[in-house]
Amino acid sequence: MEIRPILSALLRSKVSMILIGLQVALTLAIVCNALFIIGQRFERMQRPSGMNETDTFAVSSVGFGEGFDVRAVQAADLALLRRLPGVVAATSINSTPLSGSGWSSGVQLTAEQKTQSANAAFYMVDDHGLDALGAKLIAGRNFLPTEVGIRTLDETVAPASIIISQALAKSLFPGESAVGKQIYIDDPQTTPKATIVGVVERLQTPWVNDGYADIENSLIQPQMLVIGTASQYLIRAEPGRRDEVMKAVETQLAAANPSRIVGKLRDMEAQRRDAYANDRAMAIILGAVIIALLAITALGIVGMASFWVAQRTRQIGTRRALGATRGDILRYFQTENFIITTLGLILGSILAYALSLWMMQAYQSPRLPWHYVPIGFLCLWALGQIAVLGPALRASRVPPAVATRTL
Amino acid sequence: MFAYYLQLGLRSLRRNPVLTALMVAGIALGIAASMTTLTVMHLMGSDPIPWKSDRLHYVQLDNWGPDQPYSEDGRPPDQVTYRDATALMAAGKADKQTAMFKVVLPVQPENTQLKPFRALGRATYADFFSMFEPPFKYGAAWNRDQDAGHARVIVLGKELNEKLFGGQDSSGRTVRMDGIDYRIVGVLDDWNLRIKYYDLTVGAFSSADEFYMPFTSGVDLKRRSSGNNSCWKSPGDGWDAYLQSDCVWIQMWAELDTPARLADYRSFLDSYVNEQKKLGRFARPLNNRLLDVNQWMRDQKVVSRDVQVQTGLAFAFLLVCLINTVGLLLAKFTRKSGEIGLRRALGASRREVFTQFFIESGVIGLSGGVLGLMLTALGLMTVRALYTSYKTVAHLDWAMVAATVVLAVVSALLAGLYPTWRACRVQPAAQLKL
Amino acid sequence: MLKMTHLQKVYRTHLIETYALRDFSINVAEGEFVAVTGPSGSGKTTFLNIAGLLEEFTGGSYLLDGVDVHGLDDNGRSRLRNEKIGFIFQGFNLIPDLNLFDNVDVPLRYRGYGAAERKRRIEEALGRVGLSSRMKHYPSELSGGQQQRVAIARALAGSPRLLLADEPTGNLDSLMARGVMELLEEINGQGTTIVMVTHDPELAARAHRNVHVIDGQVTDFDAESSPRHVDAGAPVAAIS
Ligand SMILES: Nc1ncnc2c1ncn2[C@@H]1O[C@H](COP(=O)(O)OP(=O)(O)OP(=O)(O)O)[C@@H](O)[C@H]1O
Ligand SMILES: [Mg+2]
Repeated sequence: MEIRPILSALLRSKVSMILIGLQVALTLAIVCNALFIIGQRFERMQRPSGMNETDTFAVSSVGFGEGFDVRAVQAADLALLRRLPGVVAATSINSTPLSGSGWSSGVQLTAEQKTQSANAAFYMVDDHGLDALGAKLIAGRNFLPTEVGIRTLDETVAPASIIISQALAKSLFPGESAVGKQIYIDDPQTTPKATIVGVVERLQTPWVNDGYADIENSLIQPQMLVIGTASQYLIRAEPGRRDEVMKAVETQLAAANPSRIVGKLRDMEAQRRDAYANDRAMAIILGAVIIALLAITALGIVGMASFWVAQRTRQIGTRRALGATRGDILRYFQTENFIITTLGLILGSILAYALSLWMMQAYQSPRLPWHYVPIGFLCLWALGQIAVLGPALRASRVPPAVATRTL
Repeated sequence: MFAYYLQLGLRSLRRNPVLTALMVAGIALGIAASMTTLTVMHLMGSDPIPWKSDRLHYVQLDNWGPDQPYSEDGRPPDQVTYRDATALMAAGKADKQTAMFKVVLPVQPENTQLKPFRALGRATYADFFSMFEPPFKYGAAWNRDQDAGHARVIVLGKELNEKLFGGQDSSGRTVRMDGIDYRIVGVLDDWNLRIKYYDLTVGAFSSADEFYMPFTSGVDLKRRSSGNNSCWKSPGDGWDAYLQSDCVWIQMWAELDTPARLADYRSFLDSYVNEQKKLGRFARPLNNRLLDVNQWMRDQKVVSRDVQVQTGLAFAFLLVCLINTVGLLLAKFTRKSGEIGLRRALGASRREVFTQFFIESGVIGLSGGVLGLMLTALGLMTVRALYTSYKTVAHLDWAMVAATVVLAVVSALLAGLYPTWRACRVQPAAQLKL
Repeated sequence: MLKMTHLQKVYRTHLIETYALRDFSINVAEGEFVAVTGPSGSGKTTFLNIAGLLEEFTGGSYLLDGVDVHGLDDNGRSRLRNEKIGFIFQGFNLIPDLNLFDNVDVPLRYRGYGAAERKRRIEEALGRVGLSSRMKHYPSELSGGQQQRVAIARALAGSPRLLLADEPTGNLDSLMARGVMELLEEINGQGTTIVMVTHDPELAARAHRNVHVIDGQVTDFDAESSPRHVDAGAPVAAIS
């Protein structure tokens, strides 16, 4: 429509225009970057762990007093767990994905090399481990019952066979099948190589937070870990029966042996919530800031536009007297808003990229993908138009007689 | 005169309730967002022990492998080995010093009504208590002789004493943990540690220790620490090999009361490491660090990246709210230019007009501040709900309450400055012109 | 050109009904220059507003250039106003944020002319009022008389058939008023019908015909008469 005269009129009341423009600019810059961060967090939170999370839970037990025979207790516990109705599989395990604590170490292909070939999280399970985890075997085979050994901290017994995750397989043997290959997983000077007997599609390490690289490099060894009197089990229930099985496990384990403490049972869904609590909190907080920001900006536009309409009542009347239709008046204010937001948005897109650049330097965050800004443009244009609609409609209803009646 | 302007301001604010509400809400929201995040950041980053934080130093030595640095940015490991910790303790070159590690033990209460439970504690030296100054409710710390004598003594935290003995003076009694009886020598009072700064390796906001026992008796249990344990090469088999290994799992603190003592201790560490190099350890270049409490907290990024980003964002948000308020005030004051011209024509000086409108902005700021304070409390409640571990750092203290109100008033006055200045420039004649 | 018969205008506010116009009949022929006089509050502005389609009437009929305006909707009225009528206001009603060129441009924009046509008309209209040299000036930089001349240029730019003026000289001194009057006479001489409300007996006397309004009714038609019931000096009248 009549962009030039509106623009030149706007330039006569620069300050108000600059204020709204600045507000829009800052809003665009913040909203784009905040949305980007939220997007990243959601992406992180959606990463699959590679295990069945809906039906599984973990429980720990620690014995006390003299004469607590942890190995006997473990055997009895596992037998008990596997007998329980509703249990699909149960294994002894040293740590679970998403738990935040576990065991990681470097692995290497040759004894001579000075640096590690890859870093991997170590899971120690028995022959029911893959079943309990619900990990999907994509090559090779599961552990045999005869392969399951005992691991203590006093004695390093290297397992003969191991299963690794696909990610680890790819990084160790790019382009080749890993099954049948051998790697060192302990001190190459004192322990022999272990043979890879299987590859699982995916198994996350216990550490999902920032700063832990290679989150899918995992290694499973057929060993029952014994540290002091502590043990931990991972149990997978039949679909839909998890909560019921959890209750049964809690009472039965406690009843089975009085000289131990059964730790809090943690289902994997709760584990996931806890693991990503900070990401979720960040996303929620940023989301709230975005909403508040958009609301403030919209209200600011409403306030300013209302003021402009009130201030220009007589002018509007005059325009009406000179032949402007209601639609013309409506469009005038809409166009004016469009111009201001567009100018603000142009400044805002520069600010958005500047902010992103700064975040890249200060926090090593990734670069803002280009499409955020155009999408932000569209959203803020829409926001501006919606915000100005009320005052603009009020303006269009100013009767033309105002031209002769008011001074 | 002030009262008159205040009255005028209030009246004018009441005349445009929607606009006023918009401005007050804008300021309040901006203030609440920035104060919520600022409170969290302030309490997270604030000095936990201001009277001696510059004297407490965290000891780091670089015993890592020759072929791989501990961290890419050249920082030494965040803990020390048993070998080095005990050697430094034995040398006793600092004014006070303590090595420590985290233990989790099963507690078997005397009271059979209570089921056995796990308690989180710390194995440390007697100096811990005089270095970090936890308040005692009953009894006192053990002494250095008891450290040396592997005494089975224990100091209970307030909560554990509450749980086991109903809060009574339990000093002199015993508590059984994993089949061993420990004599209680002291019970702590409330220790409001916002940040568990003496052990940041397992999370700055992890739950408080429930008991403290001598380091030497802790090692006697032959249990690995429940904290972090990192090795750059396999420790070998058995407990003794583990103790002699290059695995790091112990936190080491030294209190150094003067800069001279600090310098001495530094050179002592250097010579200790050089001595060890002769024995074939410490293959990496000399990289000892002695960070004080605040430096250590910064090094460990206690104030997380997320909190920093949130705070930055909140202030940008406040800026938007302020710009919004400037715009609305400008609109409001411009609309009143007729009244201003009239007042000027009736003899008001420019300064008086300025005061009148400035007070009006101040009133908006004050209302925004009060509302903002309530919203801040709400915001902190949300933070506590979202970050369960932040409950110690997400609450208002008086300094922050005052800061909120001051920030709100100052922001509103700043926002009102330009519109007020514009208002002052209205000519007395403006009223009379068309 | 303009024919009102038994026109009635009632303002209803709360419980009070104000009859601004009652049984108001007038016929203005093409090319006429009519001056409307009458005491303050008698309904002159109301008459002009209705004549200029700024307000609707509550009874009677009104034919503008042969068109019955009664059934027109708001948009239709706007279009008719834009095409047929030029307005000159007592307070000039220039848009302070626009320069003279853009001010004159306003009705032309709504007419939907092309850029070249608009430019030609604006330059011509401003030339007619002798302000071509100040096209880039803003209203605040002009004297009252000059502002009113711009307003006249704006009214003329769309070549209206009917020019309505509500006390066009009310805010001007007598010298300036005479200048504006001469301009209006010149425009009328070129065939534009003019209806002008005024309190100035001297100006009214220069019109072809005087219409006197009292209490919302036309009381007097007078072709060449000298002013009789004019309360020009009334202070209230100065603010219309
Ligand atoms: N919007 C309105 N609502 C109610 N009454 C109105 C309205 N507009 C005008 N009136 C009344 O209608 C009557 C005619 O008013 P009008 O403005 O036409 O007078 P006027 O002849 O132009 O007077 P003046 O010479 O003072 O300009 C007056 O009594 C006035 O109070
Ligand atoms: Mg009038």
